[in-house]
Amino acid sequence: MQIDGMLSGVRVLDSTTNVAMPTAMHILADMGAEVIKIEGHTREEASNRDGPFQFLQHGKLGVTINLRGDGGLDLFKDLAKVSDVLVENNRAGTFQRLGLGYQELVKVNPTLIMLSNTGFGQTGPWRRYTGIGSFLELTTGVSNQTGYMDQGPRQVGGAWIDIHAAWMTVFSILAALNFRAETGKGQHIDFGMYQVGVTTLGVELLDFFSNGRNGTRMANRHPYHAPHGVYPCIGDDKWIAIAVETSEQWDSLKGIMGDPEWANSSKFSSPIERHQNQDSLDEHLKAWTITYDAYELMHLLQNSGGTASIVPNSAEIMIDPHMKARGFYEKMEHSPESGFGTRMFVGRPWKASKTPSYFRRPTPYLGEHNDTIFGELLGLNKKELGDLESANVIAEVPPKPKEKKGKTAAGGLQNLNNPGPSLENGTLAYIDADYQKRLGVEE
Amino acid sequence: MIPGLFGNIRVIDLTTDVAGPFATKLFADYGADVIKVEPISGDISRQMGPFHEDDPHPEKSLSFLFLNCNKRGITLNLETRLGQKILRELIKDADLLIENNPPGHMEKLGLGYTDLEKINPNLVMTSITPFGQTGPYKDFSGNDLIYYAFGGQMYISGAYDREPLKHGTPQSLYLGGMVAAYSTAGALFARRALGSGQYIDLSLSEVMAADQFQTIVRYGFSGEVTRRSPKNDAGDPKGTTFNGIVPAKDGYIRLSASPPNRLYPRSGGTPWKEYADILGEPELGEQLENANNTTDRDKILLPVISDIPKFEYFHNLMTKDWNAAVVQTPEDLSNCPHLEERNYFTEIEHPVVGKIRFPGEIIRFPESPWNLRLPAPLLGQHNSVVYGEELGYSENEIVQLKQMGSI
Repeated sequence: MQIDGMLSGVRVLDSTTNVAMPTAMHILADMGAEVIKIEGHTREEASNRDGPFQFLQHGKLGVTINLRGDGGLDLFKDLAKVSDVLVENNRAGTFQRLGLGYQELVKVNPTLIMLSNTGFGQTGPWRRYTGIGSFLELTTGVSNQTGYMDQGPRQVGGAWIDIHAAWMTVFSILAALNFRAETGKGQHIDFGMYQVGVTTLGVELLDFFSNGRNGTRMANRHPYHAPHGVYPCIGDDKWIAIAVETSEQWDSLKGIMGDPEWANSSKFSSPIERHQNQDSLDEHLKAWTITYDAYELMHLLQNSGGTASIVPNSAEIMIDPHMKARGFYEKMEHSPESGFGTRMFVGRPWKASKTPSYFRRPTPYLGEHNDTIFGELLGLNKKELGDLESANVIAEVPPKPKEKKGKTAAGGLQNLNNPGPSLENGTLAYIDADYQKRLGVEE
Repeated sequence: MIPGLFGNIRVIDLTTDVAGPFATKLFADYGADVIKVEPISGDISRQMGPFHEDDPHPEKSLSFLFLNCNKRGITLNLETRLGQKILRELIKDADLLIENNPPGHMEKLGLGYTDLEKINPNLVMTSITPFGQTGPYKDFSGNDLIYYAFGGQMYISGAYDREPLKHGTPQSLYLGGMVAAYSTAGALFARRALGSGQYIDLSLSEVMAADQFQTIVRYGFSGEVTRRSPKNDAGDPKGTTFNGIVPAKDGYIRLSASPPNRLYPRSGGTPWKEYADILGEPELGEQLENANNTTDRDKILLPVISDIPKFEYFHNLMTKDWNAAVVQTPEDLSNCPHLEERNYFTEIEHPVVGKIRFPGEIIRFPESPWNLRLPAPLLGQHNSVVYGEELGYSENEIVQLKQMGSI
């Protein structure tokens, strides 16, 4: 049988915001689920239609419901009745207070799968604490082991833990769908991002229980292999990552370096010595790598059994020949009135042979599918729709997005008080004026 | 009665290291019968440190113990024709096969997807490799460092003028395991409508590129190329030294905190007076409000914070609905009252290691809960059950298989 995507025929209600859950929801949409994004058009974030939003919300159908409006809750329940999955990421207890708790919703849909995403889960003393990925990077313990050896802990760039949560949410929903197909049972999944993050430190926890180790910072080094790090190459801010994990790899590296005298010193004669003397080892390596172009060195080392990689920036990774050949980036065509044109987005890190995932539609504008979903799916007539609009339960006339240029609308995932990267403070490396040409998406 | 989410699913696990074993652990933890197939000499990850009580013993690798609980274990030499025949017998009744050999290796053994789908059209086969099955770098090797580097995560992490940085624990491998688990679970679900299994090609370097999509999307919308922390760490918009993580009295906290319901402040910024009140230093509110930049603010705040116990800072803000963060150590996690009340830690009895405390439930599914049924298997522990009772080999035949070096 032919089906269009792994989740063909599955309907998902997306009542989520921020980064983690919208990411999970667009993955489900790419996999073929009908994802209905519910937005409160009376809320502030309803107006957010910047670049990252276009990526995060793609593939979904969009409706508006004002839950505080008269009849808003009923409309929400009518959608829940005809859906397979509902995902929400309000603070623990919020949906119950609204009358949309799982106990209420199973009355209209006995096999509903509901996933509530929170920072810390639905129970326990921290259940009402807010959870944001970049904060959880610290609280889950990931940061404790991260940083340079002469400094305290550090965070990495980007929103850590959010994507853990996104991917584990997709897993949870698929697991629950499989279980429901076998047993006919839905359930309410209690998804706490904290526990997902802590579980990635399982080995460190066991090391504490067994050996009393409480975590140290090793920069890019490995607990027992050396060399293992990042070394400078020709050019501004160009680097090569090199990992030597076997004696064969060390011998091969020595050969490529031309068997220099220092490399044959007794200081580096065994894996134990190399690990103990890696400060000195790293200095020698740096003096050698700095004479190479990073790409050239990656090919040289990899083609002789080594483990090495360039350290690409976002422009380099987008035009890398391997990533291009793999089709990792996919084009998204936006409507003419959106002002976004065609953009290249990140696809997914896996390929399925029979039911590929792909981008199915751009991000909906606010309330774009009110008529389709409330009219065709729920069977409301024109008058009923009009009444809901007058009562401000659904957005009146779906507002078309304002004319805006892609460049100015781009923004970043604005991280709380972080005004975003800039050239001035060095958090931007440069701005590439020819990026559209380079990506093959010229307007 | 189905004992878990995947209670009727059988998984053949040919993986090693971390990513593959974490993926199959997720299936095993939620009820699947996962058969871990090791070479005769044992999975190389049995040699991965750290070890229980620092004793380098093949049954005491903590990584192996953590990643392989709830699985059964057999040994099988896939390099022999007999070993390949036995694997095909196992595949007949299996739902999932997850492996992480280099591209082309399974085909060379006659165990590629096109061979195996003839035996079992319902099989879902997932291959986890550093760079995928296709493309110019498909034969390149990788590890956690390489995925952080190639995926672009490293370039944006670390200090402005120092080398790019990765996390200290192999996060990229856990993320790879999560992607393997969800994509495989998707193919499992799709079997019902599709009428057959399929093949999944997963690339660990792409996992890291997908994880840090923000900088890629930024470049794709504006040509802006993100770098690392600001030139002067003290001018970091996220806070100050160490990328916003600063010393408290007894550890580290994240300096920047954000007020309730203002995740995306369009204007205004932090209400410093309220923040100062929560810190118990109301007289600082006005000074903070008048400070021109983060550097000036840091001068006011750092001495104050260095006197506050880290959990006091965390709870005082969090109970007022602010966002705050504390750098927890393994010891903190092990004493965490929240994990305690959610019964996160459990105990496991292992035949060699004895009774140990063990991290448990990841996600709570009330209808099909997480449970710990088995400790990680000893080398070849389930050979007689699997080869004898399940595949029907007699005791004599099993002895012969052992003598021939097949199991």
